[in-house]
Amino acid sequence: MAEGTGRGEMLSIWFFVGIMTLAYGAVLLPYGAWEWFGVHEAPTVLHQLHPTFWWGLLLTLFGAFYTLRFRPRRDDASKG
Amino acid sequence: MSVSHQLTRLTPVDIAILVLYFAVVIFIGFYVKGSTNTSEQFFLAGREMTAWIAGLSFVSANLGSLELMGWAGSAYQYGILATHWYWIGAIPAMLFLGIVMMPFYYISKTHSVPGYLQLRFGEGARGLSAASFAGMTILMSGVNMYAMAVVMRTVLGWNMTVSIWVGAATVGIYVMLGGLRSAIINEVLQFVLIWAGAALIPILGLIETGGWTNLKAQIATNVGSTQYTHLWSTLGHFKDNPMGINWVGIVFGLGAIISFGYWTTDFLVVQRVLSANNLRAAKMAPIIGSAFKMAVPLIVILPGLLALGLMSNGHPAYHLVPADIAKHTGEASYDQVLPLMLIRYCGPGLLGLGITALVAGFMSGMAGNVSAFSTVWTYDLYGAYVNKKATDQHYVFMGRLSTVVGMLISIATAYLVMNAASIMDYVQALFSFFIAPLFGTVILGMLWKRATNWGGFLGLLAGTGSSIGMFLYTSTGSVAHKAHALSQIALSADAQPMAENMFRALWSWLICVAVTVIVSLMTTPKTDAELNGLVYGATVIPHDGAMTIWQKPIFWAGVVSVVFIALNIIFF
Repeated sequence: MAEGTGRGEMLSIWFFVGIMTLAYGAVLLPYGAWEWFGVHEAPTVLHQLHPTFWWGLLLTLFGAFYTLRFRPRRDDASKG
Repeated sequence: MSVSHQLTRLTPVDIAILVLYFAVVIFIGFYVKGSTNTSEQFFLAGREMTAWIAGLSFVSANLGSLELMGWAGSAYQYGILATHWYWIGAIPAMLFLGIVMMPFYYISKTHSVPGYLQLRFGEGARGLSAASFAGMTILMSGVNMYAMAVVMRTVLGWNMTVSIWVGAATVGIYVMLGGLRSAIINEVLQFVLIWAGAALIPILGLIETGGWTNLKAQIATNVGSTQYTHLWSTLGHFKDNPMGINWVGIVFGLGAIISFGYWTTDFLVVQRVLSANNLRAAKMAPIIGSAFKMAVPLIVILPGLLALGLMSNGHPAYHLVPADIAKHTGEASYDQVLPLMLIRYCGPGLLGLGITALVAGFMSGMAGNVSAFSTVWTYDLYGAYVNKKATDQHYVFMGRLSTVVGMLISIATAYLVMNAASIMDYVQALFSFFIAPLFGTVILGMLWKRATNWGGFLGLLAGTGSSIGMFLYTSTGSVAHKAHALSQIALSADAQPMAENMFRALWSWLICVAVTVIVSLMTTPKTDAELNGLVYGATVIPHDGAMTIWQKPIFWAGVVSVVFIALNIIFF
């Protein structure tokens, strides 16, 4: 059911949580990879741990899980 | 306002992250507009939220500027004592709300806290609490806007006027379109974002310092004292801790009065729980919220402690000063500790995420205030005293209109706050004016059948009046007079201003309760039939539908209590 967005709506609140974190992961993961493998790291403290890449990966996995788990389905709207 | 050198600048990838956030929140406003056609949908989100949504929204509505910036700064200033505002200053009250008070709010079918007071104590108490709440929320919203603009200016060099108007317009649009539903969805999103944007700071900070034990040792070296890393052992006397407060102020002023007042009677947070879809969800929501609340010090208090303990060539890495000094010297102020730590660990991309988290926190605070304001204005002021017999459609229109007007008043307040000495003092003062006495009135109303209409109204009036009177007594006149007044209110010559807030709340609550009891005993009580659904002893509370122990709110309240006690012992 589309929790939180109102009876009859297709998109659940958790879908929004998923799609937004997935989008952020999709931005951070390739950027972090470019920083790491292209040696473009910003001079922050502990940049040698490549936090942008790993955090981007975490957000991508979290976002992908929620997006898939709460993706809109045809029967959601008719449940009401 | 004279010093303005920006700490960092955003790259295109940061800006993309920030723009994406604004696009999503505006989209949500338009998306749910179709589900906000009746007043119940607009003001109470159709009462169809699950316990998880209501619970996350409950805790997120409180994650405004005060939480993110103010308490990180307080952690740098006072050390781990600032954690009390998250643990003893929140958890017991949230559990009490869920287990004891929520059944009455929920089964009375009230739309607001002033609405409950009207059912229990009549129009006088409702009018007084609605008017004070409406004023307070708008001021708080203005404080949020101002705080956001200051952050954007100091961190990114953005113009304050642009920040205020862009933030206000975004919040105004999504709340005006989708009402509480829109605010709640965004609050849940913002809660996730705040963690996504800020959780790296404590993780990387603890890696850099070599763990909690090393951090404690470094703080002790930097400040020359071990007082900054103990929660309770320094609270024996005002002189023994950096905050200048004792355990009486923390336990009774903060833990018993301010905290219970805020978490159980401030409509801003209670409104989120009223949106729950059944009684069990309404009871579970504050309990779920409390579990997440216990974790918030990780992203707020720990960054402040990290700044206190980090070293550079054997010396403290940061030297932060109070805001009024920073304004003249150009040094970084306490309130800047969170952005400073963000910049320390987060490069392009992560910085954008962190800034987005801060903006999200500020906007959730603003949205919480403005949606609660529009509800109380429409139901408890406009609908009660100006236009009692309008159609449901008209009240929805009034809700949307008051959202816009509320935002405009908040903007005016934000400009006003620019002249206030400190954001924290301002907010603390506001809290104890209204919240502490209101808690006295509501709790007596729910637990004591004998409390009467006149008792409730005059008790609330006396408590609020005495709180304002004490504030004026301690904040006006010569320096010597202020010090003398403070020592009288807090019962010690060693008390600091933070202690004064705690004790003022305690006194005003006691005055409210005393007046309510005395006046009630002198006036005619209500019958049990009149009090059905409103008071313990006159109400049969329906079963919440929990079948197994895992579904019982009391079980989860017990789990949270055990963790809460364990944390306090660990950091004693």
